[in-house]
Amino acid sequence: MLDATDKLVLKEVAGLEDIPKGAYNIRKNGKLLGREVSANINIESNEKGDGIIIDIKPGTKNESVHIPVILSQAGLHDVVYNTFIVGENADVTIIAGCGIHCGGKESEGHSGIHEFKIKAGAKVKYVEKHIALGKGTGRRILNPTTKVFMEKNSQIEMELTQLGGVDEARRVNDAVVGEGATLIITERVMTDGDQIADSKNEIELAGTGSKANIVARSVIKGNSSQDFFVNLTAKAKCYGHIECDAIIMDNGINQTVPALRALHPDAELTHEASIGKIANDQLMKLMSLGLDYDAAVNRIIQGFLR
Amino acid sequence: MLQLQNVTFKVPDSDVKTKLPLQKTIVNDVSFTFERGGFYAITGPNGSGKTSLAKLIMGINELSSGKIVFDGQDISPLSIHERSNAGIVYGFQHPARFKGTTFRDLLSIAAGTDDEETLARIIARVGVCSMSFLDKPVDSKLSGGEIKKIELATVIARNPKVAIYDEPDTGIDLWTIGPMVELLKREQKEHNTTTIVVSHNKAFLEAADTLLLVRKGRIAYSGDLKGAMPMLEDLSVCTFNEPCQGENDARCYR
Ligand SMILES: Nc1ncnc2c1ncn2[C@@H]1O[C@H](COP(=O)(O)OP(=O)(O)O)[C@@H](O)[C@H]1O
Ligand SMILES: [Mg+2]
Repeated sequence: MLDATDKLVLKEVAGLEDIPKGAYNIRKNGKLLGREVSANINIESNEKGDGIIIDIKPGTKNESVHIPVILSQAGLHDVVYNTFIVGENADVTIIAGCGIHCGGKESEGHSGIHEFKIKAGAKVKYVEKHIALGKGTGRRILNPTTKVFMEKNSQIEMELTQLGGVDEARRVNDAVVGEGATLIITERVMTDGDQIADSKNEIELAGTGSKANIVARSVIKGNSSQDFFVNLTAKAKCYGHIECDAIIMDNGINQTVPALRALHPDAELTHEASIGKIANDQLMKLMSLGLDYDAAVNRIIQGFLR
Repeated sequence: MLQLQNVTFKVPDSDVKTKLPLQKTIVNDVSFTFERGGFYAITGPNGSGKTSLAKLIMGINELSSGKIVFDGQDISPLSIHERSNAGIVYGFQHPARFKGTTFRDLLSIAAGTDDEETLARIIARVGVCSMSFLDKPVDSKLSGGEIKKIELATVIARNPKVAIYDEPDTGIDLWTIGPMVELLKREQKEHNTTTIVVSHNKAFLEAADTLLLVRKGRIAYSGDLKGAMPMLEDLSVCTFNEPCQGENDARCYR
């Protein structure tokens, strides 16, 4: 069922050697390639037929669901709307991700719109990797959107990674964080050549005692460009932090715009942001431990994107 | 074995009044030979050029003139990593802080392996930092003392022929200074490491066979601690020599 290219892509985006255990839904070139549900995790197509609904029963523990997307058809621009309903007190890992394998001259793209309804007390780890492979010259475009609604005392940790090959990425992350809920987003993006990536984040700390920590790490090589915007709006007594760092190599350019808005007197919001070349003292240190310049640069970037 | 021959380090500067470009001499025509397996302490006032001298040896600062010869080879043209691979390692006064890079990463680079047992052995040998440090990012969250311990461990992990420690005791608690001195002495004895410690700490000055006193970019004295005492006392009398107009005018209460 999986050809060699599919396997390669699955390995890159989802760490899968083969069909995963537990619940999964594999989409290839706009069509369903395979689906499995479990006793606690149901997956079905939505009414319009343009996406899936993943329904996780309350109290589900230590289960995971894989929903990778493979794109290898020139000229295809796939749009999909997925909804995740995570039941009360569930504790699950969702592994998403899209891999484009481009063999031709035509562009290929995927836009995944993911909506999360996280019920009270539920805990989610969401891992999303994007990659583009193949020798084709067509533009590879990935425009992911996540919309997160968090109920009381819920928690989500989102790891969003794009480490190579994607020519154009426009990301939107929206989240509304309820009472006592915690949102953690870590975004890692590396671009090269003429690639562009931008990320727009609208985070609303809506409930008392809500928390958000937004971390962005960007490495901008070649002539590529990356922009990162985040609006962190506090409407209750809450705690929010933004940390965004960009390392520019070669002729890369970057805009980083962290904005804090406290619409409640007890909000505590902080941010740190930096844009610059690899720090000289870091390079000197690694070189004094015996690494040549290029190896030192590599190690610093590796650590930075970890 | 490590010879400094008329080593000079100048940096661009400008005249305060005329704004004309000038050169400022930071290390001024220093010649000295460090013998294999010796324990040296370098001391001197802030800004006298100790760190600059150490960085010249490591290749971090570029020589303006002069020569550095190591085991008979002129290493002046060698880059930092080449000098490191030749056996010279410098522990920074202000160690770099990273994002993401952990103590384990630095130690593995230094040791040339990420083998868990080897790393554990190095940590046991260093003694001053615990295994629980291993997966800590070497970032701005570390305390001043913690990062200095990590810095020290990465130097020792390389089994250097020449180890230069730049103020290793900064931020280190009182109870760790003694063991740190013992550690460097043990390394010196067991591995015949030429040990150079930049410090103001009496414990290191006493541990050294030879003391170098640096003033205004020159070696003002080299020899044993006893011989240096008059000069050290002289330096410690008053650190506001220049701005101070003298005891009577400034009503000095020292
Ligand atoms: N690259 C440089 N450019 C300009 N000034 C420098 C540079 N490096 C060192 N200095 C100056 O040289 C002097 C000696 O510095 P340093 O070697 O760090 O002294 P020490 O370690 O003895 O306290 C200081 O005044 C310092 O500001
Ligand atoms: Mg210094």
